[in-house]
Amino acid sequence: MIKVERLKKSFGDLEVLKEINVEIKPQEVVVVIGPSGSGKSTFLRCLNLLESITGGKVMIKDQDLTAKGTNINQVRTNVGMVFQQFNLFPHKTVLENIMMSPMKVRKWQRKQAEEKGLALLRKVGLYEKAHVYPDSLSGGQKQRVAIARALAMEPEIMLFDEPTSALDPEMVGEVLEVMKELAKEGMTMVVVTHEMGFAKEVGDRVLFMDGGYIVEENVPIELFEHPKEERTKAFLSKVL
Amino acid sequence: MGVFSFEIVREYLPFFLKGAMVTVGASLAGILIGSILGLFMGIGRISKSWWIRYPFIWYINAFRGTPLFVQILLIHFGLIPLIMESVNPLVSLIVTLSLNATAYIAEIFRAGIQSIDRGQMEAARSLGMTHVQAMRHVILPQAFKRMIPPLGNEFIVLLKDSSLGAIIAAPELMYWGRAAQGQYYRVWEPYLTVAIIYLILTLSLTYLLNYIERRLDTA
Repeated sequence: MIKVERLKKSFGDLEVLKEINVEIKPQEVVVVIGPSGSGKSTFLRCLNLLESITGGKVMIKDQDLTAKGTNINQVRTNVGMVFQQFNLFPHKTVLENIMMSPMKVRKWQRKQAEEKGLALLRKVGLYEKAHVYPDSLSGGQKQRVAIARALAMEPEIMLFDEPTSALDPEMVGEVLEVMKELAKEGMTMVVVTHEMGFAKEVGDRVLFMDGGYIVEENVPIELFEHPKEERTKAFLSKVL
Repeated sequence: MGVFSFEIVREYLPFFLKGAMVTVGASLAGILIGSILGLFMGIGRISKSWWIRYPFIWYINAFRGTPLFVQILLIHFGLIPLIMESVNPLVSLIVTLSLNATAYIAEIFRAGIQSIDRGQMEAARSLGMTHVQAMRHVILPQAFKRMIPPLGNEFIVLLKDSSLGAIIAAPELMYWGRAAQGQYYRVWEPYLTVAIIYLILTLSLTYLLNYIERRLDTA
């Protein structure tokens, strides 16, 4: 589904991703952990080219993102993204937030987009908030709307960039619940998070990143219980 | 020097009012044309391609860095005769105000656009929107709201600055003030009346803008 080969990313002189190689299968839930500054968010943002890549290749469903002829907007419709800061559109109601891209990008009729939007809001438990503005929602509610908005494009892949890091602790659970639900439905997911519980419970595989590399990867139970690399051990001893 | 002569004011009042209409019309034209051109220039000003960005930056530098007075003379006596056969001071005034406002408004648009959190653009692009779609449906609607106060301010400045049109005999408010002064050699009657009319215009505009801002706030 996703294939990353020798991916490099620099910001000026700063080399954030040194060499990333990874392959992600359909329906797999991959959790990316690591200390801040390890490049995990940058890695995620390279997967839909929100960050231009400096070297190497990213393939989504065998389509090379940086190849000539690749329509990146087309690719992005198949790759949903959820941000730490939600990034809802404050000038639109919750429902309009969700309807916007199906209507503008997929050219759906209003009625079809509205039905889709309301169904998704029901799915994330916010049906009754359809006509309010994002301002009046709590953090957890905002993030659930953001997930619904990404799902409205019916993507096959979802990227989560620290989706619970900006939330008050009591709201983390409701967002993780929605994500678990998605994982169960077979969504291919790449999740950058500090929620080790989520990684253990939902992840099929955990990538530990540090210093611009994937230092270690394994199924969650192995990686958490029997880390092989020193850096992994040091990191886990701090967060577990 | 006698007492304040209301006779002069009364005699010139119709001309002052006609001039005030021209003042309002020319500033309105300036702000409208300036807004349209300024929008494109403001967007071009933050283009990633230097060959789009640099001409706009220098246009803005030139028009913000030189006096409007000089611009009016250059445009009326230099530029307009080059491109039009007959020279009309009012046309010159409107062209100058528009070109000048374009530079300031471009900066207002740029600041408005750049004040929107970049996460908004990223979210829109991650949903598959093109840059243009994201600008149109996500960034600009939010930016416009923030641009209203500085745009209103620019309108007020433009309305006052249009008085420089008197120097090229564009028949706006100040032109008639100078005419009255020239006929009667009086200072207070024409200039004070003109000043009061400008004040009425700018204050009305201020109240109107405050009203619009309040309406947008609650919307």
